[in-house]
Amino acid sequence: MDERDLRLDGNAIAGMLAEVFRFDMTVEWSGCAACGARNQLGALQAYAHGMGAVLSCPGCGQALLRVARGGGRWWLDLRGMEWLQLDERARMPE
Amino acid sequence: MAGFITRGFRGRRRATEEEAGRLPPGQYAEPGFPVLTAGATPRIDLADWRLRIEGLVARPREWTWEEAQALPRSTFDGDIHCVTKWSKLGTSFAGVSVDTLLDQVEPLPEATHVIAFSYGGYTTNLPLEDLRDGKAWVVWEHEGKPLPPEHGGPARLLVPHLYFWKSAKWLNGLRLLDHDQAGFWESLGYHNRGDPWREERYWGD
Amino acid sequence: MAGGALLGRLSWRLGRVAEVRLETPRVASLLLDVPGWEGHLPGQHVDVRLTAEDGYQAERSYSIASAPDGRRVELAVERIDDGEVSPYLAGELRAGDQFELRGPIGGYFVWQPGLGGPLLLVAGGSGVVPLMAMLRHRSATGSSTPARLLYSSRSLEDVIYRRELERLVAAGDGVTVTHTLTRAQPPGWEGHDRRIDAAMLKEVGWPPGDRPLVYVCGPTRLVEAVADDLVALGHDPDLVRTERFGPTGV
Repeated sequence: MDERDLRLDGNAIAGMLAEVFRFDMTVEWSGCAACGARNQLGALQAYAHGMGAVLSCPGCGQALLRVARGGGRWWLDLRGMEWLQLDERARMPE
Repeated sequence: MAGFITRGFRGRRRATEEEAGRLPPGQYAEPGFPVLTAGATPRIDLADWRLRIEGLVARPREWTWEEAQALPRSTFDGDIHCVTKWSKLGTSFAGVSVDTLLDQVEPLPEATHVIAFSYGGYTTNLPLEDLRDGKAWVVWEHEGKPLPPEHGGPARLLVPHLYFWKSAKWLNGLRLLDHDQAGFWESLGYHNRGDPWREERYWGD
Repeated sequence: MAGGALLGRLSWRLGRVAEVRLETPRVASLLLDVPGWEGHLPGQHVDVRLTAEDGYQAERSYSIASAPDGRRVELAVERIDDGEVSPYLAGELRAGDQFELRGPIGGYFVWQPGLGGPLLLVAGGSGVVPLMAMLRHRSATGSSTPARLLYSSRSLEDVIYRRELERLVAAGDGVTVTHTLTRAQPPGWEGHDRRIDAAMLKEVGWPPGDRPLVYVCGPTRLVEAVADDLVALGHDPDLVRTERFGPTGV
Protein backbone atom coordinates (compact mmCIF):
# COMPACT_ATOMS: atom_id res chain seq x y z
CA MET A 1 0.00 0.00 0.00
CA ASP A 2 1.19 3.46 -0.80
CA GLU A 3 0.64 5.80 2.09
CA ARG A 4 -0.56 8.53 -0.28
CA ASP A 5 -3.70 6.43 -0.43
CA LEU A 6 -4.43 7.48 3.14
CA ARG A 7 -5.34 10.99 2.05
CA LEU A 8 -9.10 11.54 2.34
CA ASP A 9 -11.55 14.44 2.20
CA GLY A 10 -13.34 16.34 4.93
CA ASN A 11 -16.29 13.90 4.40
CA ALA A 12 -14.27 11.23 6.11
CA ILE A 13 -14.40 12.99 9.49
CA ALA A 14 -17.91 14.36 9.19
CA GLY A 15 -19.09 12.22 12.11
CA MET A 16 -16.22 13.23 14.39
CA LEU A 17 -16.68 16.93 13.62
CA ALA A 18 -20.44 16.64 14.16
CA GLU A 19 -19.79 15.30 17.66
CA VAL A 20 -17.78 18.41 18.48
CA PHE A 21 -19.54 21.16 16.58
CA ARG A 22 -23.06 19.71 16.37
CA PHE A 23 -23.23 20.80 12.72
CA ASP A 24 -22.63 18.91 9.46
CA MET A 25 -19.28 20.60 9.02
CA THR A 26 -18.68 19.30 5.49
CA VAL A 27 -20.86 22.07 4.09
CA GLU A 28 -19.49 24.86 6.26
CA TRP A 29 -17.08 27.39 4.77
CA SER A 30 -13.65 28.32 6.07
CA GLY A 31 -10.91 30.73 5.11
CA CYS A 32 -7.27 29.63 5.02
CA ALA A 33 -5.07 31.80 7.23
CA ALA A 34 -2.09 31.17 4.97
CA CYS A 35 -3.41 31.76 1.46
CA GLY A 36 -6.93 33.12 1.93
CA ALA A 37 -8.61 30.33 -0.07
CA ARG A 38 -12.25 29.68 0.81
CA ASN A 39 -13.41 26.10 0.95
CA GLN A 40 -16.17 24.05 2.43
CA LEU A 41 -14.69 21.61 4.93
CA GLY A 42 -15.82 18.72 2.72
CA ALA A 43 -13.37 19.98 0.10
CA LEU A 44 -10.37 20.01 2.41
CA GLN A 45 -7.79 17.24 2.35
CA ALA A 46 -7.92 15.04 5.42
CA TYR A 47 -5.64 12.66 7.24
CA ALA A 48 -7.38 10.83 10.03
CA HIS A 49 -6.70 7.96 12.35
CA GLY A 50 -7.35 6.90 15.93
CA MET A 51 -5.30 9.73 17.46
CA GLY A 52 -7.05 12.52 15.60
CA ALA A 53 -7.34 14.28 12.30
CA VAL A 54 -5.88 17.10 10.26
CA LEU A 55 -7.73 19.07 7.56
CA SER A 56 -5.52 20.92 5.09
CA CYS A 57 -5.98 23.55 2.43
CA PRO A 58 -6.14 21.91 -1.02
CA GLY A 59 -4.42 24.95 -2.47
CA CYS A 60 -1.45 25.63 -0.22
CA GLY A 61 -1.32 22.63 2.15
CA GLN A 62 -1.72 24.66 5.34
CA ALA A 63 -3.31 22.71 8.21
CA LEU A 64 -6.61 24.49 8.85
CA LEU A 65 -7.90 22.27 11.61
CA ARG A 66 -6.31 19.72 13.90
CA VAL A 67 -8.52 17.70 16.21
CA ALA A 68 -7.83 14.98 18.75
CA ARG A 69 -10.00 13.16 21.25
CA GLY A 70 -9.38 10.94 24.19
CA GLY A 71 -10.22 10.42 27.81
CA GLY A 72 -13.56 12.14 27.41
CA ARG A 73 -12.05 15.34 26.01
CA TRP A 74 -11.58 16.99 22.63
CA TRP A 75 -8.73 19.26 21.61
CA LEU A 76 -8.95 21.66 18.68
CA ASP A 77 -6.33 23.73 16.92
CA LEU A 78 -7.93 26.17 14.50
CA ARG A 79 -4.94 28.49 14.07
CA GLY A 80 -4.79 27.65 10.37
CA MET A 81 -8.32 28.99 9.80
CA GLU A 82 -8.73 32.71 9.46
CA TRP A 83 -12.49 32.32 9.83
CA LEU A 84 -15.12 29.62 10.00
CA GLN A 85 -18.77 30.08 9.02
CA LEU A 86 -21.52 27.99 10.56
CA ASP A 87 -24.85 27.93 8.71
CA GLU A 88 -27.89 27.13 10.85
CA ARG A 89 -29.30 24.92 8.13
CA ALA A 90 -26.54 22.42 8.82
CA ARG A 91 -27.25 22.14 12.54
CA MET A 92 -27.78 18.53 13.56
CA PRO A 93 -30.31 17.60 16.21
CA GLU A 94 -29.76 14.88 18.81
CA MET B 1 -18.12 4.88 25.26
CA ALA B 2 -20.74 2.15 25.58
CA GLY B 3 -22.29 0.69 22.50
CA PHE B 4 -24.76 -1.95 21.37
CA ILE B 5 -23.06 -5.35 21.49
CA THR B 6 -23.18 -6.56 17.91
CA ARG B 7 -23.88 -10.27 17.56
CA GLY B 8 -20.92 -12.18 16.26
CA PHE B 9 -18.53 -9.24 15.93
CA ARG B 10 -15.13 -9.93 17.39
CA GLY B 11 -12.73 -7.49 15.80
CA ARG B 12 -9.42 -8.74 14.53
CA ARG B 13 -7.36 -8.45 17.63
CA ARG B 14 -7.09 -11.49 19.83
CA ALA B 15 -4.22 -12.38 22.11
CA THR B 16 -2.95 -15.73 23.27
CA GLU B 17 -2.40 -16.14 27.00
CA GLU B 18 1.32 -15.60 26.57
CA GLU B 19 0.73 -12.44 24.58
CA ALA B 20 -1.84 -11.15 27.04
CA GLY B 21 0.89 -11.02 29.68
CA ARG B 22 2.94 -8.73 27.49
CA LEU B 23 0.18 -6.26 26.74
CA PRO B 24 0.08 -2.99 28.66
CA PRO B 25 -3.31 -2.02 30.08
CA GLY B 26 -5.98 -1.32 27.46
CA GLN B 27 -4.02 -2.71 24.52
CA TYR B 28 -4.83 -5.39 21.93
CA ALA B 29 -2.41 -7.63 20.03
CA GLU B 30 -2.14 -6.69 16.34
CA PRO B 31 -0.29 -8.98 13.95
CA GLY B 32 -0.04 -6.35 11.22
CA PHE B 33 1.68 -2.98 11.30
CA PRO B 34 -0.96 -0.27 10.80
CA VAL B 35 0.12 2.94 9.13
CA LEU B 36 -0.98 6.09 10.92
CA THR B 37 -0.07 9.37 9.35
CA ALA B 38 -1.10 12.97 9.91
CA GLY B 39 0.19 14.23 6.59
CA ALA B 40 1.75 13.37 3.28
CA THR B 41 4.90 11.27 3.38
CA PRO B 42 7.98 13.36 2.80
CA ARG B 43 10.24 11.96 0.08
CA ILE B 44 13.84 12.42 1.04
CA ASP B 45 16.79 11.79 -1.23
CA LEU B 46 19.49 9.95 0.71
CA ALA B 47 22.03 12.38 -0.71
CA ASP B 48 20.18 15.22 1.04
CA TRP B 49 19.29 13.30 4.22
CA ARG B 50 20.85 14.56 7.43
CA LEU B 51 20.53 13.65 11.08
CA ARG B 52 21.26 16.57 13.40
CA ILE B 53 21.67 16.78 17.13
CA GLU B 54 21.63 20.34 18.39
CA GLY B 55 20.60 22.54 21.27
CA LEU B 56 22.12 22.07 24.73
CA VAL B 57 25.09 19.96 23.62
CA ALA B 58 28.79 20.76 23.72
CA ARG B 59 29.40 19.49 20.18
CA PRO B 60 26.34 19.81 17.94
CA ARG B 61 26.76 17.70 14.85
CA GLU B 62 25.18 16.36 11.76
CA TRP B 63 25.55 12.97 10.07
CA THR B 64 25.09 12.18 6.40
CA TRP B 65 23.50 8.89 5.40
CA GLU B 66 26.89 7.27 4.80
CA GLU B 67 28.22 8.51 8.13
CA ALA B 68 25.15 7.23 9.95
CA GLN B 69 25.41 3.80 8.31
CA ALA B 70 29.04 3.59 9.46
CA LEU B 71 28.09 3.94 13.13
CA PRO B 72 28.04 0.81 15.33
CA ARG B 73 24.95 -1.20 14.46
CA SER B 74 22.40 -1.81 17.20
CA THR B 75 19.18 -3.81 17.08
CA PHE B 76 15.91 -3.93 19.00
CA ASP B 77 13.74 -7.03 19.32
CA GLY B 78 10.53 -6.61 21.22
CA ASP B 79 7.10 -5.05 21.40
CA ILE B 80 5.73 -1.68 20.32
CA HIS B 81 2.58 -0.03 21.63
CA CYS B 82 0.38 2.51 19.87
CA VAL B 83 -1.85 4.84 21.86
CA THR B 84 -4.71 3.84 19.55
CA LYS B 85 -4.63 0.55 21.46
CA TRP B 86 -2.83 -1.84 19.15
CA SER B 87 0.41 -3.45 20.18
CA LYS B 88 2.70 -5.32 17.82
CA LEU B 89 4.41 -8.06 19.74
CA GLY B 90 7.75 -9.47 18.69
CA THR B 91 9.11 -7.19 16.00
CA SER B 92 12.64 -6.01 15.22
CA PHE B 93 14.39 -2.85 14.10
CA ALA B 94 18.04 -2.02 13.38
CA GLY B 95 20.03 1.18 13.26
CA VAL B 96 22.18 3.01 15.79
CA SER B 97 21.66 3.47 19.51
CA VAL B 98 20.87 7.03 20.55
CA ASP B 99 23.50 6.57 23.29
CA THR B 100 26.15 6.36 20.54
CA LEU B 101 24.94 9.66 19.10
CA LEU B 102 24.66 11.40 22.47
CA ASP B 103 28.21 10.33 23.38
CA GLN B 104 29.47 12.19 20.35
CA VAL B 105 27.56 15.42 20.99
CA GLU B 106 28.05 15.57 24.79
CA PRO B 107 24.79 16.85 26.28
CA LEU B 108 25.24 19.75 28.69
CA PRO B 109 24.26 19.18 32.33
CA GLU B 110 21.26 21.49 32.06
CA ALA B 111 19.72 19.47 29.20
CA THR B 112 16.61 17.72 30.53
CA HIS B 113 14.28 17.31 27.58
CA VAL B 114 14.35 16.65 23.89
CA ILE B 115 12.24 17.59 20.95
CA ALA B 116 12.51 15.24 17.98
CA PHE B 117 11.83 16.93 14.66
CA SER B 118 11.06 15.31 11.33
CA TYR B 119 11.05 16.01 7.63
CA GLY B 120 7.52 17.18 6.87
CA GLY B 121 7.19 19.10 10.14
CA TYR B 122 6.21 16.49 12.71
CA THR B 123 7.55 16.95 16.23
CA THR B 124 7.35 15.06 19.49
CA ASN B 125 8.83 15.77 22.92
CA LEU B 126 10.12 13.51 25.69
CA PRO B 127 12.46 13.57 28.68
CA LEU B 128 16.16 13.15 27.79
CA GLU B 129 16.34 10.26 30.24
CA ASP B 130 13.98 8.26 28.04
CA LEU B 131 16.52 8.38 25.23
CA ARG B 132 19.43 7.09 27.30
CA ASP B 133 20.80 3.79 28.56
CA GLY B 134 19.79 1.51 25.75
CA LYS B 135 16.19 2.66 25.54
CA ALA B 136 16.22 4.42 22.15
CA TRP B 137 17.53 4.11 18.61
CA VAL B 138 17.53 5.80 15.26
CA VAL B 139 16.52 2.95 12.95
CA TRP B 140 16.49 2.39 9.21
CA GLU B 141 15.63 -1.29 9.06
CA HIS B 142 12.48 -3.12 10.06
CA GLU B 143 12.44 -6.93 10.21
CA GLY B 144 15.53 -7.17 8.07
CA LYS B 145 14.43 -4.82 5.28
CA PRO B 146 14.95 -1.11 4.68
CA LEU B 147 12.35 0.88 6.59
CA PRO B 148 9.62 1.72 4.06
CA PRO B 149 8.54 5.38 3.65
CA GLU B 150 5.05 4.76 5.05
CA HIS B 151 6.65 3.56 8.29
CA GLY B 152 9.08 6.45 8.51
CA GLY B 153 11.88 5.61 6.11
CA PRO B 154 14.69 6.54 5.48
CA ALA B 155 15.04 6.64 9.29
CA ARG B 156 12.85 7.07 12.32
CA LEU B 157 13.34 7.45 16.03
CA LEU B 158 12.52 4.32 18.01
CA VAL B 159 11.58 4.60 21.69
CA PRO B 160 9.66 1.36 22.26
CA HIS B 161 9.09 1.76 25.99
CA LEU B 162 6.85 4.76 25.28
CA TYR B 163 3.76 4.97 23.09
CA PHE B 164 4.71 4.77 19.45
CA TRP B 165 3.83 8.36 18.50
CA LYS B 166 7.09 9.27 20.29
CA SER B 167 9.00 7.22 17.72
CA ALA B 168 9.04 10.05 15.21
CA LYS B 169 8.96 8.99 11.57
CA TRP B 170 11.14 10.64 8.92
CA LEU B 171 13.51 11.80 11.65
CA ASN B 172 15.64 14.84 10.84
CA GLY B 173 17.10 15.47 14.29
CA LEU B 174 16.93 15.95 18.02
CA ARG B 175 17.12 19.24 19.89
CA LEU B 176 18.14 19.14 23.56
CA LEU B 177 16.41 21.67 25.82
CA ASP B 178 16.28 22.63 29.49
CA HIS B 179 12.48 22.58 29.48
CA ASP B 180 9.68 20.51 28.06
CA GLN B 181 8.19 21.76 24.80
CA ALA B 182 5.03 20.20 23.41
CA GLY B 183 5.21 18.56 19.99
CA PHE B 184 2.53 17.91 17.38
CA TRP B 185 0.25 15.58 19.35
CA GLU B 186 1.31 16.80 22.80
CA SER B 187 -0.05 20.25 21.93
CA LEU B 188 -3.35 18.56 21.13
CA GLY B 189 -3.97 16.75 24.42
CA TYR B 190 -1.55 13.84 24.31
CA HIS B 191 0.76 13.09 27.22
CA ASN B 192 4.21 14.66 27.47
CA ARG B 193 5.83 11.36 28.37
CA GLY B 194 3.54 8.53 27.24
CA ASP B 195 4.37 5.45 29.33
CA PRO B 196 2.05 2.65 28.17
CA TRP B 197 2.47 0.73 31.43
CA ARG B 198 0.98 3.68 33.31
CA GLU B 199 -1.50 4.40 30.50
CA GLU B 200 -0.14 7.92 30.04
CA ARG B 201 -2.19 8.63 26.93
CA TYR B 202 -3.50 12.16 27.51
CA TRP B 203 -2.81 15.28 29.60
CA GLY B 204 -3.33 14.67 33.25
CA ASP B 205 -3.19 10.88 32.99
CA MET C 1 -25.39 24.01 -0.36
CA ALA C 2 -28.41 21.87 -1.10
CA GLY C 3 -31.55 23.69 -0.05
CA GLY C 4 -33.36 22.96 3.14
CA ALA C 5 -32.34 21.05 6.23
CA LEU C 6 -29.71 18.43 5.70
CA LEU C 7 -31.41 15.95 8.05
CA GLY C 8 -29.30 13.60 10.09
CA ARG C 9 -29.12 13.12 13.84
CA LEU C 10 -26.11 13.05 16.12
CA SER C 11 -27.12 10.08 18.20
CA TRP C 12 -26.39 6.44 17.42
CA ARG C 13 -29.45 4.45 16.38
CA LEU C 14 -30.07 0.79 15.77
CA GLY C 15 -30.66 -0.50 12.28
CA ARG C 16 -32.09 -3.96 11.75
CA VAL C 17 -30.96 -6.00 8.80
CA ALA C 18 -33.95 -6.82 6.61
CA GLU C 19 -31.94 -8.48 3.87
CA VAL C 20 -28.37 -9.18 2.83
CA ARG C 21 -28.02 -9.38 -0.94
CA LEU C 22 -24.91 -10.48 -2.76
CA GLU C 23 -24.21 -8.06 -5.58
CA THR C 24 -20.84 -9.40 -6.75
CA PRO C 25 -18.41 -12.00 -5.36
CA ARG C 26 -17.00 -9.33 -3.06
CA VAL C 27 -19.83 -6.89 -2.47
CA ALA C 28 -22.98 -7.33 -0.43
CA SER C 29 -25.87 -4.90 -0.14
CA LEU C 30 -27.36 -4.50 3.30
CA LEU C 31 -31.00 -3.42 3.42
CA LEU C 32 -31.78 -1.93 6.79
CA ASP C 33 -34.89 -0.87 8.64
CA VAL C 34 -34.02 2.10 10.84
CA PRO C 35 -36.85 3.19 13.13
CA GLY C 36 -37.21 6.95 13.05
CA TRP C 37 -35.20 7.40 9.86
CA GLU C 38 -36.17 10.71 8.31
CA GLY C 39 -34.56 10.36 4.92
CA HIS C 40 -31.28 11.48 3.42
CA LEU C 41 -29.79 13.31 0.45
CA PRO C 42 -28.20 11.31 -2.37
CA GLY C 43 -24.47 11.09 -1.73
CA GLN C 44 -24.59 11.19 2.05
CA HIS C 45 -23.22 8.43 4.25
CA VAL C 46 -23.74 6.84 7.63
CA ASP C 47 -21.20 5.96 10.29
CA VAL C 48 -21.48 2.38 11.51
CA ARG C 49 -20.28 1.28 14.94
CA LEU C 50 -19.72 -2.32 15.96
CA THR C 51 -19.06 -3.36 19.55
CA ALA C 52 -17.62 -6.73 20.57
CA GLU C 53 -18.49 -8.45 23.84
CA ASP C 54 -15.22 -7.34 25.41
CA GLY C 55 -16.07 -3.74 24.66
CA TYR C 56 -13.78 -3.40 21.65
CA GLN C 57 -15.30 -1.01 19.09
CA ALA C 58 -14.74 -0.35 15.43
CA GLU C 59 -16.28 2.44 13.36
CA ARG C 60 -16.52 2.76 9.60
CA SER C 61 -18.41 4.99 7.16
CA TYR C 62 -20.60 3.67 4.35
CA SER C 63 -22.29 5.64 1.61
CA ILE C 64 -26.04 5.23 1.31
CA ALA C 65 -26.92 3.52 -1.96
CA SER C 66 -30.69 3.93 -1.85
CA ALA C 67 -32.69 6.84 -3.14
CA PRO C 68 -34.32 8.86 -0.37
CA ASP C 69 -37.71 7.24 -0.85
CA GLY C 70 -38.28 6.84 2.86
CA ARG C 71 -38.15 3.08 2.92
CA ARG C 72 -35.15 0.97 3.69
CA VAL C 73 -31.64 2.31 4.04
CA GLU C 74 -29.35 0.44 1.70
CA LEU C 75 -25.59 0.21 2.13
CA ALA C 76 -23.03 -1.69 0.08
CA VAL C 77 -20.01 -3.32 1.70
CA GLU C 78 -16.99 -4.59 -0.17
CA ARG C 79 -15.40 -7.50 1.68
CA ILE C 80 -11.67 -6.94 2.16
CA ASP C 81 -9.79 -10.17 2.83
CA ASP C 82 -7.95 -9.25 6.01
CA GLY C 83 -10.26 -6.43 6.95
CA GLU C 84 -11.67 -6.10 10.41
CA VAL C 85 -15.20 -4.91 9.73
CA SER C 86 -16.06 -5.79 6.14
CA PRO C 87 -15.75 -9.58 6.51
CA TYR C 88 -18.26 -9.29 9.35
CA LEU C 89 -20.76 -7.03 7.56
CA ALA C 90 -20.44 -8.79 4.21
CA GLY C 91 -20.01 -12.30 5.53
CA GLU C 92 -21.39 -12.93 9.01
CA LEU C 93 -24.30 -10.49 9.27
CA ARG C 94 -27.75 -11.93 8.68
CA ALA C 95 -31.35 -10.79 8.53
CA GLY C 96 -32.59 -9.87 11.96
CA ASP C 97 -29.22 -8.69 13.25
CA GLN C 98 -28.90 -5.15 14.50
CA PHE C 99 -26.02 -2.70 14.62
CA GLU C 100 -25.53 0.95 15.42
CA LEU C 101 -25.44 3.66 12.84
CA ARG C 102 -25.39 7.45 12.87
CA GLY C 103 -26.43 9.95 10.26
CA PRO C 104 -27.09 10.64 7.52
CA ILE C 105 -24.22 13.06 7.23
CA GLY C 106 -22.03 14.61 4.57
CA GLY C 107 -24.03 17.30 2.85
CA TYR C 108 -21.05 18.38 0.77
CA PHE C 109 -20.95 15.36 -1.53
CA VAL C 110 -24.62 15.56 -2.52
CA TRP C 111 -26.53 15.97 -5.76
CA GLN C 112 -30.20 16.76 -6.14
CA PRO C 113 -31.99 17.76 -9.37
CA GLY C 114 -32.36 21.30 -8.06
CA LEU C 115 -28.59 21.76 -8.33
CA GLY C 116 -28.77 21.41 -12.10
CA GLY C 117 -26.50 19.69 -14.54
CA PRO C 118 -25.46 18.12 -16.76
CA LEU C 119 -24.06 15.50 -14.43
CA LEU C 120 -20.78 13.61 -14.78
CA LEU C 121 -20.31 10.78 -12.32
CA VAL C 122 -16.95 9.00 -12.17
CA ALA C 123 -16.64 5.86 -10.06
CA GLY C 124 -13.85 3.51 -9.11
CA GLY C 125 -15.00 0.19 -7.65
CA SER C 126 -17.27 0.65 -4.64
CA GLY C 127 -17.10 4.40 -5.26
CA VAL C 128 -20.18 3.83 -7.41
CA VAL C 129 -22.35 3.53 -4.30
CA PRO C 130 -23.11 7.21 -3.54
CA LEU C 131 -23.35 7.91 -7.27
CA MET C 132 -25.97 5.16 -7.54
CA ALA C 133 -28.02 6.95 -4.91
CA MET C 134 -27.87 10.04 -7.11
CA LEU C 135 -28.97 8.11 -10.21
CA ARG C 136 -31.75 6.32 -8.32
CA HIS C 137 -33.02 9.64 -6.97
CA ARG C 138 -32.85 11.13 -10.46
CA SER C 139 -35.08 8.33 -11.76
CA ALA C 140 -37.46 8.43 -8.82
CA THR C 141 -38.08 12.16 -9.26
CA GLY C 142 -38.49 11.93 -13.04
CA SER C 143 -35.59 14.33 -13.53
CA SER C 144 -34.38 14.84 -17.07
CA THR C 145 -30.94 16.15 -16.10
CA PRO C 146 -28.55 14.50 -18.55
CA ALA C 147 -26.19 12.18 -16.68
CA ARG C 148 -23.10 10.23 -17.69
CA LEU C 149 -21.52 7.59 -15.48
CA LEU C 150 -17.96 6.48 -16.15
CA TYR C 151 -17.35 3.41 -14.01
CA SER C 152 -14.06 1.59 -13.52
CA SER C 153 -14.10 -2.01 -12.25
CA ARG C 154 -11.60 -4.85 -12.19
CA SER C 155 -13.77 -7.19 -14.25
CA LEU C 156 -17.34 -7.60 -15.39
CA GLU C 157 -18.27 -9.75 -12.39
CA ASP C 158 -17.12 -6.90 -10.11
CA VAL C 159 -19.53 -4.38 -11.59
CA ILE C 160 -22.02 -3.53 -8.87
CA TYR C 161 -25.66 -2.83 -9.90
CA ARG C 162 -24.86 -4.03 -13.42
CA ARG C 163 -28.38 -5.04 -14.42
CA GLU C 164 -29.95 -1.97 -12.85
CA LEU C 165 -27.55 0.29 -14.73
CA GLU C 166 -28.49 -1.46 -17.97
CA ARG C 167 -32.16 -0.78 -17.22
CA LEU C 168 -31.46 2.86 -16.45
CA VAL C 169 -29.77 3.30 -19.81
CA ALA C 170 -32.51 1.37 -21.61
CA ALA C 171 -35.11 3.71 -20.16
CA GLY C 172 -33.74 6.26 -22.58
CA ASP C 173 -34.27 9.31 -20.40
CA GLY C 174 -30.80 10.77 -20.56
CA VAL C 175 -28.45 8.41 -18.70
CA THR C 176 -25.39 6.85 -20.30
CA VAL C 177 -23.06 4.38 -18.61
CA THR C 178 -19.54 3.69 -19.81
CA HIS C 179 -17.58 0.88 -18.22
CA THR C 180 -13.89 0.28 -18.16
CA LEU C 181 -12.64 -3.12 -17.00
CA THR C 182 -9.05 -2.82 -15.91
CA ARG C 183 -7.93 -6.38 -15.07
CA ALA C 184 -9.98 -8.86 -17.03
CA GLN C 185 -12.42 -8.51 -19.90
CA PRO C 186 -14.95 -11.07 -21.18
CA PRO C 187 -14.44 -12.55 -24.66
CA GLY C 188 -15.54 -10.12 -27.34
CA TRP C 189 -15.41 -7.13 -25.01
CA GLU C 190 -15.33 -3.96 -27.07
CA GLY C 191 -15.35 -1.46 -24.23
CA HIS C 192 -12.47 0.22 -22.44
CA ASP C 193 -9.87 -1.92 -20.75
CA ARG C 194 -7.55 0.56 -19.07
CA ARG C 195 -7.52 2.89 -16.09
CA ILE C 196 -9.47 6.10 -16.46
CA ASP C 197 -7.27 8.78 -17.99
CA ALA C 198 -7.66 12.22 -19.54
CA ALA C 199 -8.40 10.83 -23.00
CA MET C 200 -11.22 8.68 -21.67
CA LEU C 201 -12.66 11.55 -19.62
CA LYS C 202 -12.58 13.78 -22.67
CA GLU C 203 -14.25 11.14 -24.81
CA VAL C 204 -16.93 10.15 -22.32
CA GLY C 205 -17.54 13.29 -20.34
CA TRP C 206 -19.09 16.65 -21.11
CA PRO C 207 -16.97 19.44 -22.61
CA PRO C 208 -15.89 21.94 -19.95
CA GLY C 209 -17.96 24.60 -21.67
CA ASP C 210 -21.12 22.73 -20.63
CA ARG C 211 -20.08 23.29 -17.01
CA PRO C 212 -21.13 19.86 -15.78
CA LEU C 213 -21.43 19.11 -12.08
CA VAL C 214 -18.86 16.39 -11.48
CA TYR C 215 -18.78 13.84 -8.66
CA VAL C 216 -15.79 11.51 -8.38
CA CYS C 217 -15.71 8.67 -5.86
CA GLY C 218 -13.49 5.67 -5.24
CA PRO C 219 -9.98 4.82 -4.09
CA THR C 220 -7.85 7.87 -3.34
CA ARG C 221 -5.42 7.37 -6.19
CA LEU C 222 -8.14 7.10 -8.80
CA VAL C 223 -10.03 10.09 -7.43
CA GLU C 224 -6.96 12.33 -7.37
CA ALA C 225 -5.84 11.32 -10.85
CA VAL C 226 -9.32 11.92 -12.26
CA ALA C 227 -9.73 15.27 -10.50
CA ASP C 228 -6.34 16.42 -11.77
CA ASP C 229 -7.18 15.27 -15.32
CA LEU C 230 -10.53 17.07 -15.27
CA VAL C 231 -8.95 20.34 -14.21
CA ALA C 232 -6.23 19.92 -16.84
CA LEU C 233 -8.98 19.40 -19.43
CA GLY C 234 -10.43 22.75 -18.45
CA HIS C 235 -13.20 21.89 -16.01
CA ASP C 236 -13.83 24.42 -13.24
CA PRO C 237 -12.42 22.93 -10.02
CA ASP C 238 -15.31 24.46 -8.09
CA LEU C 239 -17.68 22.16 -9.99
CA VAL C 240 -15.73 18.98 -9.18
CA ARG C 241 -16.54 17.24 -5.89
CA THR C 242 -14.57 14.29 -4.65
CA GLU C 243 -15.05 11.55 -2.08
CA ARG C 244 -11.89 9.55 -1.48
CA PHE C 245 -12.45 6.10 -0.04
CA GLY C 246 -8.82 5.63 1.02
CA PRO C 247 -6.54 2.79 -0.06
CA THR C 248 -7.96 0.09 -2.29
CA GLY C 249 -8.52 -2.94 -0.16
CA VAL C 250 -9.04 -1.22 3.18
